[in-house]
Amino acid sequence: MGTVGMWVVTGVDGVAFGMLLFTAAIGLTLIFGVMGVLNLAHGVFYLAGAYLAYLIADGSLLLLAGAFAAAVVLGATAGAGLAVALAPVRGHLDQALVTLGLAFLAADVFTTVFGAGPQLAEPPEVLAGHVMLGGYGYPVYRLVFIAVAGLLAVVLHLVVRHTTAGILLRATVADPAMSAAMGVRPGRVQTAAMAVGGSLAVVAGVLGAPVLGPAPGVDATVLVLALIIVVLGGAGSVPGTAAGALLVGQVQTTGTLLASAAAPFVLFAALLVVLVVRGRRQPQAAGSPA
Amino acid sequence: MTDLITAPARRAVVAATAQRRARPIALVGAVVAAAGLPAVVDRYTITLAGAALVLAGLAMSTQLLVGTAGLPAFGQPAYFGAGAYTAALAAQAGITNGPAQLAAAAGAGAVAAVLTAPVVLRTRGTAFLMVTFAVQSLTATAASRWRTVTGGDDGLHTPPITVPAAGALTSPAHVYWYTLAAFLCLCAAVAVLLRSPLGLRLAGCAGQPPRMSALGHPVNTLLGAGYTAAGAVAGASGALLVAVHQYVSPADIGFETAAVTLLAAALGAGTMTGAIAGAVAVVACRDWIGAPTAGHGHALLGLLFLTVAYTRPVTAHARQLFARRSRP
Repeated sequence: MGTVGMWVVTGVDGVAFGMLLFTAAIGLTLIFGVMGVLNLAHGVFYLAGAYLAYLIADGSLLLLAGAFAAAVVLGATAGAGLAVALAPVRGHLDQALVTLGLAFLAADVFTTVFGAGPQLAEPPEVLAGHVMLGGYGYPVYRLVFIAVAGLLAVVLHLVVRHTTAGILLRATVADPAMSAAMGVRPGRVQTAAMAVGGSLAVVAGVLGAPVLGPAPGVDATVLVLALIIVVLGGAGSVPGTAAGALLVGQVQTTGTLLASAAAPFVLFAALLVVLVVRGRRQPQAAGSPA
Repeated sequence: MTDLITAPARRAVVAATAQRRARPIALVGAVVAAAGLPAVVDRYTITLAGAALVLAGLAMSTQLLVGTAGLPAFGQPAYFGAGAYTAALAAQAGITNGPAQLAAAAGAGAVAAVLTAPVVLRTRGTAFLMVTFAVQSLTATAASRWRTVTGGDDGLHTPPITVPAAGALTSPAHVYWYTLAAFLCLCAAVAVLLRSPLGLRLAGCAGQPPRMSALGHPVNTLLGAGYTAAGAVAGASGALLVAVHQYVSPADIGFETAAVTLLAAALGAGTMTGAIAGAVAVVACRDWIGAPTAGHGHALLGLLFLTVAYTRPVTAHARQLFARRSRP
């Protein structure tokens, strides 16, 4: 009984971590799909959200909602700002220089302001308790987080599939030149994608702070895992990103429990196998780095 | 005769000739300055300069793939690690001869690249970037887990290298001169490779893969050969790492090294001398100027990246304006 409970708890934890990564990665895949830019500052967006939660939210739901709203505004502003910053830069490697350069500067500011140690972001008191799950106490907040992130995924999927904004977005991902010829303004779609993607990453940080809290280096962790998910899921696809995120979440939790010696290898081995098997059959991503 | 070409074209020819003449002088000047460095700076800075040469070797290996063959390679630290651990294990087994370690490390890097090339070269573009990232990450994890051979996260300490007729090199200046000499040999080998038929065909593969195959060139075999050469260069740089630090650990071949190497190549905008300058600039910003700023080295590195990335569009724009003005 105890073992079954342990597996259940670990599995649910994997889902919670996977949904956290989904919320962060969906913004990255949006930016990558629409602009063809691998935004290496994406992890810093998450970290900004986590520090925002640490600063503002102190146990009440109202303040968490406030932090959420602040995250949407801050993320949209920073994302649109990044779109402007990237406008004069040509080529993937120079874009990488700009986004990583900004990420280094922002991470330096965070470490200077908040110190080199990890900070604790508490969940709101209403959700701070534990429920019994397979004989183990499990944090309520994580269950609520899974529900909220799941809702976000469904809403995003419906928006991308069925609204005019979603159609414009998919058209720009599929064929930027043709959609521009049809009267879509690629510049506006790109700025909008950066703003929405930035918002999603900062929101992920606010909501995810009690799960993966603010600390120096968290930005790199989130960035690396989100990049893996984007590549596994395919640029601009909501269901693909969700599947990739849940897979990575399980590998990081259940995989560690299953085989602790092999676990550090499993994630990148899986990435290697998927990419190599897919190989040339996958059409090249728009403007792949040369 | 001079009337046959327009004035701007003549100016361009004159400028190109001047540049071609100035290049060897600049190169000789840089080598002399590098060789004279131990006479003017302290021991710590000499070791940093050696580390810069090591990173420059790794950046050359990356540029061979990124700039010449058009493959966004993130995983060269894996082959760098293969070379470094080969050199360290050889040193612990009693083979302290520097050139022998260098040759063994280059061989190990090349063998590792030959073994992984068939897998890695099935992909291109972003997928290639991520596959090489996976190779780098798996290698770093293996280095940290395989404790019996690699010493795990504690790394391997090695005795100083020896050079025939000079004995063990213990002073930082001697180690630096050895590193510089080996690095220059590496530069010469890369320069020959770039001008060889293989180097030219690699550049062709970067620009026009379908045309290259239509002309009968075996694109994948050519890229495999280029990948192997880059692996050898990375492996040789790994031996230099062990020579400079007398130590290697998984941190030396980790994510940060990989990111910084690729961006050093990016700073160089596709050219080999640019990649070397980029690597030197990275070490200068992060470790030399950055050291007294108490942990703000990475912010300086970020400023360097931003400055270079934005200088390019600005200079291109200025050049365009100048060309428009000078048109008759």
